[in-house]
Amino acid sequence: MEKKRNSKKRQVWRGITTVTASLLALTLTAGAVVDGFRTDIDKNLGTQSTKILTEAEDGEELYNYTSDYANTTELLDAIEDLGERMNEEGSVLLKNNGALPLSEEETKKVSFMGFSSYYPVQGGDFGSSLSENVGTDADTVDMVTAFKSRGYEINPTLQSLYEGMKESFKSEAVLPWGVTTYYRTTAPGIGGTFTSIEASQEDMDKGESGWKESLNDYNVMIVTLARGGSENANYTPGKEGVNPEQKLNQTDPLGLSDTERDIINAAVEAKAGNNGKVVVLLNNASAMEIDEIKKNDGVDAILEIGLPGGYGFYGVADVLSGEVNPSGHLTDTYAVTNANSPAAQNYGNYMYTNADDSHAINSALVEAENIYMGYKYYETRYADCVLKQGNADNGQWNYNDEVSYPFGYGLSYTTFEQTLEQVEVNLEERTVTAQVTVKNTGDAAGKDVVELYVSLPYTEYDKEHKVEKSAIQLLDYGKTDTLEPGETVNLIITADAQDMTSWDSTYKNEAGTTGNYILDEGTYYFALGNGSHEAVNNVLAMQGKSEADGMTKNGNTDKVKTWELSDFNSTAFAYSVTGVAVENQLEDMDLNYYMPNTVTYLSRNDWSGTWPTTYQDITATEEMLEVLDNDTYEITENGDASAIVFGADNGLSLADLKGVTDIEDERWSSLVDEITLEESMIRTGFGGTSTKTIESIISPEVIQNDGPNGFNSYPLGQYANTDTASNDPYVISPDDKNMNYKAGVMSNATVIAQTFSKELATEFGEVMGNYSLWSNLTIFWGAGTNLHRTPYNARNHEYYSEDAVLTAYQAASFVSGGKKYGCIIAPKHFAFNDTEINRTGLSVFMTEQQARENELRGVQSAVEDAGALGIMTAYNRVGCTTDNSHYGLLQNILRKEWGFQGLMSEDFIQDAEYATLKEAVHCGVTMTCNTGANNIDAVSAIWPYWTVENVSKDATLLQDLKNAMLWQNYAIANSNAMDGISANSKIVNVRTWYDNALLAAQIAFALLTILAVIMYFRSMKRKEEV
Amino acid sequence: MKPTRKQAMGFYLSILTIIIALAALIFYLINCNSSYFKNQGVHPLVAGGITAAIIVEIVYVILVEKLGSEKIFDILPVIVGICLMVAFGMFISVRVAGIASIMTFEKNAQTTADMNGAIIGMVLCVSAGILNMITSFFRIIKED
Repeated sequence: MEKKRNSKKRQVWRGITTVTASLLALTLTAGAVVDGFRTDIDKNLGTQSTKILTEAEDGEELYNYTSDYANTTELLDAIEDLGERMNEEGSVLLKNNGALPLSEEETKKVSFMGFSSYYPVQGGDFGSSLSENVGTDADTVDMVTAFKSRGYEINPTLQSLYEGMKESFKSEAVLPWGVTTYYRTTAPGIGGTFTSIEASQEDMDKGESGWKESLNDYNVMIVTLARGGSENANYTPGKEGVNPEQKLNQTDPLGLSDTERDIINAAVEAKAGNNGKVVVLLNNASAMEIDEIKKNDGVDAILEIGLPGGYGFYGVADVLSGEVNPSGHLTDTYAVTNANSPAAQNYGNYMYTNADDSHAINSALVEAENIYMGYKYYETRYADCVLKQGNADNGQWNYNDEVSYPFGYGLSYTTFEQTLEQVEVNLEERTVTAQVTVKNTGDAAGKDVVELYVSLPYTEYDKEHKVEKSAIQLLDYGKTDTLEPGETVNLIITADAQDMTSWDSTYKNEAGTTGNYILDEGTYYFALGNGSHEAVNNVLAMQGKSEADGMTKNGNTDKVKTWELSDFNSTAFAYSVTGVAVENQLEDMDLNYYMPNTVTYLSRNDWSGTWPTTYQDITATEEMLEVLDNDTYEITENGDASAIVFGADNGLSLADLKGVTDIEDERWSSLVDEITLEESMIRTGFGGTSTKTIESIISPEVIQNDGPNGFNSYPLGQYANTDTASNDPYVISPDDKNMNYKAGVMSNATVIAQTFSKELATEFGEVMGNYSLWSNLTIFWGAGTNLHRTPYNARNHEYYSEDAVLTAYQAASFVSGGKKYGCIIAPKHFAFNDTEINRTGLSVFMTEQQARENELRGVQSAVEDAGALGIMTAYNRVGCTTDNSHYGLLQNILRKEWGFQGLMSEDFIQDAEYATLKEAVHCGVTMTCNTGANNIDAVSAIWPYWTVENVSKDATLLQDLKNAMLWQNYAIANSNAMDGISANSKIVNVRTWYDNALLAAQIAFALLTILAVIMYFRSMKRKEEV
Repeated sequence: MKPTRKQAMGFYLSILTIIIALAALIFYLINCNSSYFKNQGVHPLVAGGITAAIIVEIVYVILVEKLGSEKIFDILPVIVGICLMVAFGMFISVRVAGIASIMTFEKNAQTTADMNGAIIGMVLCVSAGILNMITSFFRIIKED
């Protein structure tokens, strides 16, 4: 019996030993693994594993940037104020029969109709999401709260009805952490369909049978229609994009459903009886199909409000009440049928027939529309219809059947008279200077937008050399201050003349190759207009055309000036601003490069004959597969590797070069020589979520943040200095009520662009720059510079516009605003991230003219003019080459032609092969988005070729690494990340609480294991004694 | 010839542990050849850890079956537990970045299948580890 009992004890102690030893093994393994994920753990837990200790010398000034605000309350007040003003100036009045503005009395009897009035879309999902703040000095508000705070009185019956139906307004969003349910509309996931969740009249009647009667007392009926925006989401064009189980006569996810029509009609019908007003608010970032609302005479007004963020609804309320006069203009064409655009003919999931997931070879997107994206298509085709050229008319094409509201269009409560007084072109200085007189000819004070367009000559040379010309294109814009009735102001707009050049891929250039910017001989028309359509009409009028020729409306020649170029010019822009001779860099982005005569790109020379077909079922050739396998740079023994210095002792630290903007300063090369090869290899490999410390030069960890609607990655207090004993002017008290504030609160990018105000974009950069100082968050992936190729990209809310110039100047203004405060606001995603479908691996094909005049032009100013110090590359491929491996794009265009000198990160690519580390470094990428332990073995484990032995023999790659370290640290040295750091600073490692917890667990399990073993043997001993 | 001993609960649990560990190994190796994870290769600590655990567990069962519950054999389930937990920790380590990427930016039918394969492998691996802990409290054979 005793023996049996002892045997039992032995079993128990054996079991306990197994348990404790297993857990000890697990915690020891976790301990080893933690270092590899330390960056991510720190970000999520709000911990820091390193810090910099600084002892300032007497009189040494460690803080170079100054905030405009004395405390976080002032900072948040400024953000809130800007958020409100963004929607005041960024809401676009599309239709108004005089119903707006509302009188004060009318604001007391408002019915909010449509569930989106109560559950609006205020930001995107998964990126640019609204940060909801409560208990701070600037709490975010929804539409109801904002309107009520402005004195509006809302129909309580309807409010109660909609709030009672809340559960029916649920919608799912596919997010990284799973499917999340929101009480508002969301964009469909990739491959998903749109489901209209607008309540049916029957359901509303069931909820509250007297809701229609309540409209009589609250007869100002505001109907809100919404579409969501999201990263990693997509609207599929046409009926295929609509939930097939719904029978709501919805022909497109961006078109209306019957339940949406019904709620509008209910308001219109009620108006007939109650003598009220019907106002439709469009709460969207992707242009919706709203022609039926435009034509519905019962609808008095339409206001496009975008995604208003945390404070924008204050602005919307002020616009409706006339507290503020609307001055926004559309950033996109509102087409009658979005799917009819040439770009939409190739917008979908077109898999290669020989797709191969192991190399991220998935689909191909041929952008056969050429330069004719957005209004450049609609207005050019319209012009050619009027001019009777290029088979444009085709007996069927009618502008009014194609476009509801054109790009650049917007109304005001007053009227303005714009006169183009003078235009001067100076090719030597690369400028076009326009003098415009603006007069407020109405009864209300307001701001006005001046849109300066240009129409270029389209010549026989162009037709022969396949150079395309838009009949009208935005050249620049400006905005007046508030003009009182009768007040006149002169506005001078100085545009970049390069924005009116055309890329000719065939032209023999100064570099001795082909490809150049050209200006054709002929007449250049500079025109003003309330939108692209009015501008092209003004140009056509100058060309002698009228309604008799098929124009939609006669133009005004007072708004046009001409400039004659007598000779074809190929020299003015043959060299970039850096003095580099331009040449073709993206020939391999044209599918015809690999597969001759496969793609016919749209040409205005023959609209019908070149109309895009859908390019699908493409089989990648052997030549393409050699590039698509992501291995395009071979590490070889080349050059004199020994001549390239690493790990020198030159006595410099990064703080010695604080604010040194001259990258040619010899101290930069001395400093970079101090960085060891291993440090360079680790830092380029592991740059995810923050740049890491480089001990040899005391380069600090610099935190990266996502946007673009404001810093939304971390709360204000996570990295803020709370050490009140320090000399930091931006110390925050640990009990500051704004510690948990998150700044993802701004109106979305289309609203910012709809302001047509560079000043407001600059202000956004400035306020984020201030936020950066207080929060110690320096790098902000915040300027979305991809274009709205079609409205179907659900991520359009992060990008400004379909137009490159508007995108460029809003982004450049934003970047420069932040730079004043040492904040690195970086454009993303460079370049051609035109869809969320298969973006890891997607091959994007287009002509070089299209690439340079559309997407690239949208980024160029942020680099050339604003001096951006950071940029994020893209997931997609440039043709067959991964974006990060494309030397022509990243080195030759971005760095050499444009002069980009800053840090460059990959997007969140975790697939080691697709991250193409060696190729990326060769192309000037300074860090991938991976994270890992701070040792070379950890990097080599992910990229086996990335060893000191391999790399140290390749002189080319060694120089690339030094360049990467120079650019990376040059950007950091010229940012506020260096505030508080001096030449005598030291980097010290910090044991975090989770390090201690893990160690404690390891010790505990070790002790328990030892104890269990002892007890095991004791039980054995007793057994033997027995 | 020595008669076969009567199996106790521990025997059956050990067999179950071996089967689940084997399933984990198979899932891992298949996952290493899946489209998405193919390029990462086979991590020696994951494959080696599970393989070692299976072998040691088999040896443990056979030895006890043949030679009885000798004290020296009691170290074997401890080794199995250590091997499985190290393998599990490393399994997570080598897959977490890929899973994060698939869940965020690379979700399609194929990558989702690859991700699910990895997750199933991890679950099986930790299940084998837990089962081994439970098994270690039981006898392999019944006492005379």
